[in-house]
Amino acid sequence: MTENDFSRRDFLKVLGWGGTAVALSGCGNTSIQDGQETVTSYVTLPSYVTPSISNYFNSTCAQCDAGCNIMGRVREGRVLKAEGNPNSPINRGRMCGLGLSGVQAHYNPDRVREPLLRTGDKGETITWDKALGLINEKLNGTKGTEIAFVTGGMSGHVQALLGNYMDELGSKNHFSYEAISPAVLRAANKKAYGESMPRYRIDKARVVVSFGADFLGAWVSPVHFSQQYAQFRKGSRPEGRGVLVQIEPKMTLTGANADRWIAVRPGTEGVLALGIINALGKAGLSIPADIAAVSHEYTTERTSKETDVSAEQIEKLAALLKERTPSLVLAGGAAEGYAHGSQNAAAIALLNRVLGNVGKTLEASASVPFPQIAPTVGSRSSLIALNDGLAAGKYKVVFSYGVNPVFSAPASMKFKDNFAKADFKVAFAQYMDETALAADLILPLDSAMEDWATVVPEYMAAPEGAGSNAYAQMSFRQPMMEKVFPDTRGVGDILLALLKQRTADKYKEFEDFYSYLRSAVLKNKVALGGKAGDDDEVFWNETLSKGIVPLKGIAGSVSAKASAAGLKLPVPTDADPSYPLRLIPAVSASMRDGRNANEPWLQESPDPLTTIVWDSWVEINPKTAAKLGIVEGDIVEVTSKSGSIKTQAYLFPGIHPDAVSVPVGYGHEAMGRYARGVGANVFGMLDSVFDKETGELALNETSVKISKTGQRVIIVKEEGPVGGSQAGKPKIAVQVSADKVDLSKEV
Amino acid sequence: MSVSNLLENWSKFRHTHPVDDKGIPDWEAYPSDIKWAMSIDLDACTGCNACSVACYAENNLPVVGKDKYSHGQAMHWMRVERYWDEGDNGFQAEQGARFLPMMCQQCEAAPCETVCPVGATNHTEDGLNSQIYNRCIGSRYCSANCPYKVRYFNWYNYPEQENAWPAPLNQQLNPDLTVRTKGVMEKCTFCKQRTYTARNNAKTEGRPVQDSDVQTACQEACPAGAITFGNLHNPESQVAKQWQSQQVDLIKDIQEKDEKEGNRLRGYRVLEELRPYPSVMYLERVRESAV
Ligand code: SF4
Ligand code: SF4
Ligand code: SF4
Repeated sequence: MTENDFSRRDFLKVLGWGGTAVALSGCGNTSIQDGQETVTSYVTLPSYVTPSISNYFNSTCAQCDAGCNIMGRVREGRVLKAEGNPNSPINRGRMCGLGLSGVQAHYNPDRVREPLLRTGDKGETITWDKALGLINEKLNGTKGTEIAFVTGGMSGHVQALLGNYMDELGSKNHFSYEAISPAVLRAANKKAYGESMPRYRIDKARVVVSFGADFLGAWVSPVHFSQQYAQFRKGSRPEGRGVLVQIEPKMTLTGANADRWIAVRPGTEGVLALGIINALGKAGLSIPADIAAVSHEYTTERTSKETDVSAEQIEKLAALLKERTPSLVLAGGAAEGYAHGSQNAAAIALLNRVLGNVGKTLEASASVPFPQIAPTVGSRSSLIALNDGLAAGKYKVVFSYGVNPVFSAPASMKFKDNFAKADFKVAFAQYMDETALAADLILPLDSAMEDWATVVPEYMAAPEGAGSNAYAQMSFRQPMMEKVFPDTRGVGDILLALLKQRTADKYKEFEDFYSYLRSAVLKNKVALGGKAGDDDEVFWNETLSKGIVPLKGIAGSVSAKASAAGLKLPVPTDADPSYPLRLIPAVSASMRDGRNANEPWLQESPDPLTTIVWDSWVEINPKTAAKLGIVEGDIVEVTSKSGSIKTQAYLFPGIHPDAVSVPVGYGHEAMGRYARGVGANVFGMLDSVFDKETGELALNETSVKISKTGQRVIIVKEEGPVGGSQAGKPKIAVQVSADKVDLSKEV
Repeated sequence: MSVSNLLENWSKFRHTHPVDDKGIPDWEAYPSDIKWAMSIDLDACTGCNACSVACYAENNLPVVGKDKYSHGQAMHWMRVERYWDEGDNGFQAEQGARFLPMMCQQCEAAPCETVCPVGATNHTEDGLNSQIYNRCIGSRYCSANCPYKVRYFNWYNYPEQENAWPAPLNQQLNPDLTVRTKGVMEKCTFCKQRTYTARNNAKTEGRPVQDSDVQTACQEACPAGAITFGNLHNPESQVAKQWQSQQVDLIKDIQEKDEKEGNRLRGYRVLEELRPYPSVMYLERVRESAV
C-alpha cells in the first residue's frame, strides 16, 4: 500500500518546487547533539532552501477546535516551531501555549509507529496491508447498522470522505463526541438569538458580564477572544476602557482578569441573571413585559439570598450595565453544567435582549456554502447514545478517531465495559491512550504537521470591513516535513484505502488523499475564489501557500427573540449532608480534556492560577479548609456517589466556600511517559446527571465530601511559600484604580 | 583577560553606563544606536503563559520534570508570576489575580555583571545583558545578585544525561542557538538570535532597524499583544513612544513624574529603587472601581 504514502518529493512538487532531486531527510532521527547537524544535503539543495534560512508553511492548528491559522517554521527539512499566521481573522498572528506545543505532538517519542493488532492480552505489530485487510474481513457480513464511528468534532474534506465511507457501509451511526463541549450554549443561543454560534464582539462592548465563560482560557476560540479583549481594555478606544465582570464559583483565567469577580453559589447563575434584570427595571430600564413577568419575582433580596451575592453588588452591577452600553453578556461552562443548565443559559441570554445588545455586540455569523465540509460539532450526549447502543450489543465494529472516551467518560457509564462488547474495535491513534489500549486494532496516524486536511472552524471569526457578515473560511492543513515515523498514515489516506475496498472504481483516479483533496478543490475553483480560466497548478499553489480560503458564506442573522416563556429555575436546596461540597471540574487552557497531556511543555507550564505543575490538585476555599482542618499539601480523598480520587489540597481564594475544584485532563493510565501517572482523573468520579433539555452531561452536578488521608506533600509549584504575596514591596505587580489614571492618550 | 584588565574595563564601563562619574545620565556616550527595550501592559496581559511556552520553543529550554522543578530548578526564562490582593483576612480574589510576566530585565547597571569573577556575563553594545556560556565557570554569583531571580543554572547535563529531548523531540531544537550543558548559567536574551539577524539584515540593506524587523518569541505569541519590543533609541519605535509618553526614562532611578502629585501615568519598572536601570517597563494593571 505504499502508493498511498505521501512523500516529501510530491509535496514539493505541489508547491511548485519540484524537479530537483530533493534530499530533505526529516526522519532518520538526526540529533544535533550527535553532531549530525547536516539534515539537508548542502550539495544538492532544492532551489527554495538556503541553509540557515527558515521557510514558512501555512497550515492550521490541530490542538483544539478553534482552528487558528499557523505558519510552521521549517529549516533544513525539519519543522521547528508553530507561529501564528498574521493574515488570519481568527488568531491574527498569535498563538496560545497549547497551540505552540503542537510540535511536541508531532515529534512525540511516544507516538504509535506501526499498526498493532491485539489478540487477548498480546499485541503484535502488523503491516498496513494486513491491518486494512482485516478491517475488510470484519466488515464483510456486518450490517451497516452494526457499524459505528466515534470521532471528535470534524469538518472539511476528511469529514466528507468519512461521510462517503459510511454511506458505502450503509451506516448512519456517527457519534461526534467532545468531552468538553459548549453543547448547552449552542442550543441556548439558537433559541435566544436564532444562531448557535453568533459572533461575540467583546471588542465593541463597554461592559462584559460573563457567567463562567472562560474566553481567555479554554472557551470556544480563546486566542481570537484574547485579541478582542486587548482591544476592549484599551483606554484610547472611543468607548473607553471596557469593564469585565466574571460570575462563577471557581475562578477561571478570565475570572482572574476581571475588574470584579463574583463568587456565585454554584448553580444559581440563572437566578442572578433574573435578579439583575429585576434590578435594572428598578433602576428605570424598561423591561419587556414577558420577561418582567418572570423577573419581578427575583427581588434583590431574594436573589441575594439564593445566590450569595450581596444586594449592594447586584445593584452596582445593574447600575453599571444601565449606564454603559453596549454591553455583552456571556454564558459559559460554569453556568451550564447543571440539570437546569439550559434554563440558566436561557435566563442569562435574556439579559442581552433587555440590554439591547443583540445586533450590536452579538452579531450574525456566516456558514460555509458546502454542507459536506461544514463542521459537525461534538457533544457528550452523543457519547451517551453510543454507550447505550454498545451496552445493548448493537454495534459489532466500532471505529474511533481523535477521541478518548475510555478516559473521559464518567465511570458510572461503564463505557470501557460496554466498548469491550463490540467484536472489533479499531482506533485511529497517535498515542496508545486508554481507548487505543481497549481496541483490537490500532492504526498509527500521521501528526497534524504531516497530514493533509481542510478545516472549517465552528466559531467563524471575520476580518473587519465590508462583507464581513458573509465571511466564511476554509483553512488548509498541510504537511510541513517528511514523516517522523515512516509507517504512520494520514487519516484521509486510510479512509480512502478503506473506501477503495468497498468501491474501487469510484476512487481509482485518486492515488492518495492528497490527489482527492486537490481535485475536490480544483473542481470548485470558482467558489473558492479563483476564476474559471485560472491555471490549475497556479491556483492550487497559491491557495495552499495562503493557507486560508475566504468563502462567500451564507450570512446568518441574529434576532432578540430570547423569551422568558417556560423559564423555570429551581430553588436552590440545601446540600446533602453526606456530600456537602459541590465539585467543579475545571477545564484549563493547556490541559483541556487531557488529549494533549503527553506534551511536556504543557505539563511543565504552570497552571496560571495555582502555579502548580506536573500533578492535579483540589482547590479549597481557605475558610472551608480551616473548618475541615486541611492545610496546603494535605493529600485528601475527594469522594462522590460515583467514585473518588486522591490528590493534593491547594488553598485557593478564588473559589466559593461551598465548592471545590479539580482540573480535568490529568490522571492518564496510558498515553505516554509525560502523561501516565500524573495526577488523578476526575472524569471517572462524575455522577451521571444530565441537562434536562439537551441531554448533555451536567459537569457540575456532582457533590462530594473531602477527607484527609493523613499523608502530606510539598506541592510542586511556581509560587513560593508566601503564595501570592508581594511582601509589601511597592513596585512589583502594581495595580491602579481606573479613576486614578488617564488612559485616553496612551500610545 | 587579566583581572586588572577586567576591573579597568568594568570601571570604565560603569562610568558611562548608564550615568557618568557625576551621576549625570549620558545618552551621548551610549556606545551604539541600538538599545533594545521592552514594555509589558499588565492591563492587557491575561496571565495565559503562552509567552513562556513560546520561549521554551524558541530558546531550547529543557523540561526538567517534577522532581527538579520542586528543587527550584525549572529553566523557564520567562515565568508568569501570580499575585493576589492582600487584605486583613488573607488573600482577596474579588478583583481577580495579578499577573506579572518576569524575565531578565536587561538591566543597564546590571547587578549580576559586577559579581561575575570571569566576566562571563556582561553588557553588549546594543544594551543587553549577555551570558557567554563557554566562559561561565558556574560560580552562580550572578544569580545570587540578580534582584529579579531570573537566572537559571544548568545543574544537570540536560541534553545527554537527563535526556530532556528524547528522540525525536530533539528534532524540534532551534539550530539558531546552542543547547546548554551542565555547569553554566543561562537566562532570557531578548531572543538574541532574532535581534542579531534583524540588525545584520538592516545593515546589509543600509538602513536602521525598524519595528517590523524583529519580534521576540514571547511578543510574537502573546494572544493579547501585551508585549512591545524594539529599539529605544529610535523615536519612531513603538517601545520608545510608550516609554516617552509614560515618562519613564531609562537612565533615571527616580522618575520625575513619580515625584509629582496627581501623576496619571502607569508606566513603571519593577524594583526600580534598587537602581539596576532595567530595560523593561511595565504598565500598571487597571481595575474599575465602579463595580
Ligand atoms: S486556540 Fe490555541 S490550541 Fe486552539 S487552535 Fe488556536 S492556537 Fe491552536
Ligand atoms: S502571553 Fe501575553 S497575555 Fe499571556 S502571560 Fe504572556 S504576556 Fe501575558
Ligand atoms: S534582571 Fe537579573 S540577570 Fe537580568 S540583567 Fe538584571 S540583574 Fe542581570
